[in-house]
Amino acid sequence: MPSRSLLLKLASAVIFFGAWEIAGRIPVSYAFPTFIESMEALGRMALDGTLVRAYAETLRPLAIGVAISALLGIAIGLWIGLTEWFDWLFSPIFVVMQAAPLAALIPLLVMVYGIGLTSKVFVVCIMAMPVIVLNTAGAVRNTPHSLKEMGRAFLGSRRDIILKIIIPSASPIIFSGLRLGISAGFIGAILAELKITPTGVGDIITFSRSIADYASMYSAIFSIIALAVIFLNLLEKLERTLFEGNVRGYASD
Amino acid sequence: MPLIVGLAGAASAEKIRIALAETPSDELAAFFVALERAKAKGLEYEWTAFSDEELAIQAVLSGQMDIGFGTPYAVMQRAKAPIRIIFQLSKLRFFPVTTKDYTRLEDLNGVPILLHSRGGGTDAIANVIEDRLGIKFGERSYVPGSANRVVALLSGQAVATIIDLANKNKLMREHGDKFNVLPMFDVDASDEALFANLDWIKANEKAVDIFVEALLSVWRDMNDDPTVIARETNPDGPIGQLPKEILDGLDDFYREAVEGGLYDRDGGGRKAARADLEWYSLAGQLQGDPSELKIEDFWYFEPLDRAIAKLGG
Repeated sequence: MPSRSLLLKLASAVIFFGAWEIAGRIPVSYAFPTFIESMEALGRMALDGTLVRAYAETLRPLAIGVAISALLGIAIGLWIGLTEWFDWLFSPIFVVMQAAPLAALIPLLVMVYGIGLTSKVFVVCIMAMPVIVLNTAGAVRNTPHSLKEMGRAFLGSRRDIILKIIIPSASPIIFSGLRLGISAGFIGAILAELKITPTGVGDIITFSRSIADYASMYSAIFSIIALAVIFLNLLEKLERTLFEGNVRGYASD
Repeated sequence: MPLIVGLAGAASAEKIRIALAETPSDELAAFFVALERAKAKGLEYEWTAFSDEELAIQAVLSGQMDIGFGTPYAVMQRAKAPIRIIFQLSKLRFFPVTTKDYTRLEDLNGVPILLHSRGGGTDAIANVIEDRLGIKFGERSYVPGSANRVVALLSGQAVATIIDLANKNKLMREHGDKFNVLPMFDVDASDEALFANLDWIKANEKAVDIFVEALLSVWRDMNDDPTVIARETNPDGPIGQLPKEILDGLDDFYREAVEGGLYDRDGGGRKAARADLEWYSLAGQLQGDPSELKIEDFWYFEPLDRAIAKLGG
């Protein structure tokens, strides 16, 4: 017997894709394909290797950007959370980064870093890093005082208190920051490919739009969303493995 | 028939809504002069600038706009949208520009080239060059916007690209010692054209006639005397509000454009339609043998024919 949550997920998928199919059949616009047409296009692109080549291109800035954002973001976030002067120094940068209208700033990035990989990695990082840093810092700063005091009462070293109390206690918020940051990173990767130079999945989207092959266009968008969802689910699994008992309801399953 | 078209159709009877594919700039000055002339004949209009051609096409498709800017051949063929082109605004006049290392197109065999977008106009130009000269470019990279490709060229990120007339002239004026413009054959296909929903055109015949007639008269006057654009530009209109340097450059811009053959004095018509079908087939926008495609499936000639009949051939 499948679990209730799986059934609910399946039901919401059926409702969503059903609505898509109906909207495509009306059609709401000449430029809106049905769900089945889009899935056919997806299958075709998967079989002829277009998708594989596109993802080989798109995943590069995405993976580098997300890796930098996650590692550096959590490290900076911890530091900001632990030291007050560092908070004063660095928090404003990330608040500004988070609020910046990135699409409008892309020409500036291109001017400085050119049209290659570096600019695209930057776009991913600018999208992903602030929320990771700010969430981590906030979570660390808000570790219950009583827990830290208990650590000290048991003669724990500063290292013990950080590794055994602060990080586990902050883990749910750190992971929710990671989830938000990484999904923003996916958005950044596609934004970069649409706005800087069309490569990979961004190229499929712009090219199929320019030749009015809307089924391929929507299937490429669908594929990147699907990939993001799968990745975020894996991240939740990682969180549950690493910090069992500390999940506190953020990671649903 | 999409629902939105039906709903929007009723509201659009008075004012025609024009979807521009870019914000008003010197390139659009002639178009706005034509709008002023049409307004004097009683045409009511409003315009919205979209950030790119695809959005303008979508807005016309969905019925939120009446007349759009662009060359929506693929949309007409693949999505079977009932839209038709009525006037060719400008021809695809693009120029291969390279560093001093190359002097002829033949030299570009195997050389990487920077183009606008895959399947776009400059991509087609590159295909035709390869086809006619029997060469093969090296890797093609894509950077939308001639101005951005000039930046890439200047910063040494590219050695060869294809750019539009205005940017070519600017580049050669400022950095003519570093770059070559390679000689190229003429192209009659459209870069920008005006299109609209066929039902809407037929339902608003009078407004469309006024508009096309105004365009044709401006395009002809401009070919005879390019300074007419600067003289007739409304100082309170969107072009009149542009910075003084741009307004001062209007005469040069249009003189060079007219000399470069950018504007057809008869609004393109059947000749342009035929050239477009061949061109956009090569570009990969249209499928099938271009000689079997019917120009009537893509263009609606009546307003232009009536305007030519009225203004004389």
